[in-house]
Amino acid sequence: MAHFAKIDENNRVLAVLTLNNKDMLNADGVETESVGQQYLEKHNNWPAYMWIQTSYNTSLNQHKLGGTPFRGNYAGIGYTWEEDNQIFWSKKPYASWVKHIESASWKSPIGDAPTLTTEQQQQNDALDLNGKRTNDWHYRWNEETQKWDLINSIV
Amino acid sequence: MQKKVLTEQALYYGDVSMPQHWEIDRTELAHHILHSSLTNEQLQFSKTYDKLDTYMRDFIGLEHSINLVNKSTWGNIYKPNETTIPLLNIDPLDLKNSPDYTLLYGVKTNDCFVTIFYDDNRKKGKNWDIELKNNMFIMFPSTNMYYISNRQKDSLNFVQTITYESI
Repeated sequence: MAHFAKIDENNRVLAVLTLNNKDMLNADGVETESVGQQYLEKHNNWPAYMWIQTSYNTSLNQHKLGGTPFRGNYAGIGYTWEEDNQIFWSKKPYASWVKHIESASWKSPIGDAPTLTTEQQQQNDALDLNGKRTNDWHYRWNEETQKWDLINSIV
Repeated sequence: MQKKVLTEQALYYGDVSMPQHWEIDRTELAHHILHSSLTNEQLQFSKTYDKLDTYMRDFIGLEHSINLVNKSTWGNIYKPNETTIPLLNIDPLDLKNSPDYTLLYGVKTNDCFVTIFYDDNRKKGKNWDIELKNNMFIMFPSTNMYYISNRQKDSLNFVQTITYESI
């Protein structure tokens, strides 16, 4: 199965369709994106150049099955296609975040959240007598202060 | 202090901005509406209609997170200076099978106005007037009554209606 994202004139993803691999074979029997685009144009009433192939197994520029990542992320409705870097971008989570091309992900202006301390991690892993977690330490981005806030959700 | 919106009566409207060279062939749609009116047959399915329907479902889904499923469609021709009776696309005795939204599309219009009735809590029977121009759509809850008026004396107005269920 192949997957194609249908994009609008602003490169926003409108839908993602599945295509039979046999519908994108060229004359030599090789799977080709342009053949798939032509098929989709004919059967789905949307111009060929506005169908972009996407990989179901690619996320954050990594291939889940160890293969070669393709176009950054598997496209989803509301994602944006960036032709220059050949990446599907998810929605920007915060106004201040910037694109990180290598990982096809959004990063805060001060980088990733700090790593939890060993003590915090141990508290997260600990269970009470009923088998429930007692702590959930994690960092949440604070757009107002432009910092990562340490939060314990359960307590 | 917090707020929770329990229900919303929203009007969605705008132009159908298809990609260049892929515009809706409104002449073909008008032809189908005319044919359907003369023969009293259902509107025939066409690629042009499918383009319009798909565009609406895609963009309403993307921009307003409403997933629409087509229920029915028909076309109407309004004579010069004609005003319809109040229209309602739900069956109050069969709400289960009634649509959630009504969409009007301006196929060939000139001075075509849609008046939509709504209640604003205790202020009952208010109405909103909006012009339905060529290649423009207006979508609103099917529970709202409305009427269409052709406010000029020279030409016919062609309007396509599509009803949708939201899932």
